[in-house]
Amino acid sequence: MTTKLLGKSKSSYRDKSSVFPPLYGILFSLPVILTLFSLVIYPLFYGFYISLFKTNLVSRWDYRGLTNYVQIFKHSDFLIYLATSFKFTIFVVGFHLIIGMTLALLLNNEFKGNLIFRVILLLPWIFPESVIALLFKWIFNPLHGIFNIALQSLGIIQESQSWLGNSSFALPVVIFVCIWKGYPMVMMMLLAGLQAIPIDSYEAAWIDGANRFDTFRYITIPSLRHVLVITLLLDTIWWFKHYALVWVLTGGGPGNDTTIVSIGIYKESFEFFEFGKAAAMSVVVFIICNIFGIIYQRKLDRE
Amino acid sequence: MNKYKFSRIKEKIMYPMIRYLILSFFSLLVLLPVLWMLSTSLKTSAEAISTPPSFFPKETTFIAFKRLWKEYPFGTFFKNSIIIVFVSMVISVLFACFAGYGVSRFKFRGRKAMSTFVLITQMFPSVMLLVPFYSIINRLGLINTHLGLIIVYISFTLPFSTWMMIGFFRSLPTELDEAAMIDGCSVWQAFWRVVLPLTLPGIASTSIYSFITSWNEYMFAFILTNSPNMRTLSVGIAELDGYQQILWNDMMAASLIASLPSLIVFLAFQKYFVDSLTAGAVKG
Repeated sequence: MTTKLLGKSKSSYRDKSSVFPPLYGILFSLPVILTLFSLVIYPLFYGFYISLFKTNLVSRWDYRGLTNYVQIFKHSDFLIYLATSFKFTIFVVGFHLIIGMTLALLLNNEFKGNLIFRVILLLPWIFPESVIALLFKWIFNPLHGIFNIALQSLGIIQESQSWLGNSSFALPVVIFVCIWKGYPMVMMMLLAGLQAIPIDSYEAAWIDGANRFDTFRYITIPSLRHVLVITLLLDTIWWFKHYALVWVLTGGGPGNDTTIVSIGIYKESFEFFEFGKAAAMSVVVFIICNIFGIIYQRKLDRE
Repeated sequence: MNKYKFSRIKEKIMYPMIRYLILSFFSLLVLLPVLWMLSTSLKTSAEAISTPPSFFPKETTFIAFKRLWKEYPFGTFFKNSIIIVFVSMVISVLFACFAGYGVSRFKFRGRKAMSTFVLITQMFPSVMLLVPFYSIINRLGLINTHLGLIIVYISFTLPFSTWMMIGFFRSLPTELDEAAMIDGCSVWQAFWRVVLPLTLPGIASTSIYSFITSWNEYMFAFILTNSPNMRTLSVGIAELDGYQQILWNDMMAASLIASLPSLIVFLAFQKYFVDSLTAGAVKG
């Protein structure tokens, strides 16, 4: 095996291991492998380890086995956090898909102004999340925000509302801001996928007399399938675990109305100092994300 | 008019018009808040909260921008962000290039597993790593330090960067470095002198992605720092309202400046970004 690693095997010209000794492959990949192991895999297992304790990370480490997992479902707001997160994610990702797909299809052609539109429509992604949160906090400000003032002058509402402080409005407003912030990523990935579809596929269909809708259904979607699944999966996981925008906008409030699961975990850790329970919640979130991955792959990515 | 003329009208006039309409609608939805941010930042604090507000400031002033550097630790936030983001970006991209070369040229056992492994780590919810990272960084005594955040940011940007660079290297034909090595180059030289220069577009877009992701990051910067002089920009500006009363023109000015590096980086390299998404990452 060592001789093969060093590229000294008796191989035909086709097998390039004499020119490209496999050993170097391992060496070149080593920095990434080591870093990912220590910075991702190890913390993962460590997190699971913490979830078996009742701890404040400093002085208290009481072994609890799996009872934390029972506790979070019975005696905490975890289920509420999960429900809020599911609602949040479905709406955010759903609209990302619709908007992203529409825009990607439109931008897929060559026309005057294509570049300008691309740059403008990408802007929300470029701004930091906390900046966007601050901006919309200002726009939806109960006293001086432009949203209230505009609606009032149009006669749509009588009094200024506290959009982010009102139970009925907080979650929808937060969802809107997240849709605004996040659609560019979906749009970009879908656009990249669309541009990879060779023009021949379309031409063959047009010669056969296909119209726009048929082309979309029978050529575009199947060619886009793989990219679509990956984009949706990444977007779902990304927004299911989301934290920053919502935290700066509402801090999870009012009450628990916008406490999505990551904010819930934060609260459990830094307000209640129950790191063990928080870790248990994290593990459950991890399992849920894996289930998403499996569902997406099985149901949608049949190649 | 006959059917032929009508369908030509549809193609040449109607569809393009619909396209411009839809694109303009969404562009407006994007630009209005951004321009409002700009407009507020150029007002005096009194005018910012006056009613009725106007889109154009009655009195354009840069006073908010000047105050940023004097009355808030804005310069400190900026410096912290620059150091942390730059260092983590350079290391991430470097490692990603190494791995890209290794995986694309050398057949070693576990090669396929490695690509899959990188893809999977990308999908981990970062909130999962909140508690363990906090605990680990705490034990290492790296809370509230640059190094602590650099390490954490590398863990975010490395998976996607590696994935992108692997895709990029794969799209380069192996004949080039093969020929170089047959001519006597060492593996390292072939990598550094022959192949790497060709991946500059990939490096550019991977760097953009790393930079923007880290620059904008909030959650871990928030949790792993606890004193104002260590805060990054992203976190610092969200907390500006703790200093006195909220002066919205200051906040908007701060927001604008905080976004500038990402904007500049993006605008300078944007043509690489879409191209590389097509060339590298998407072709699985």
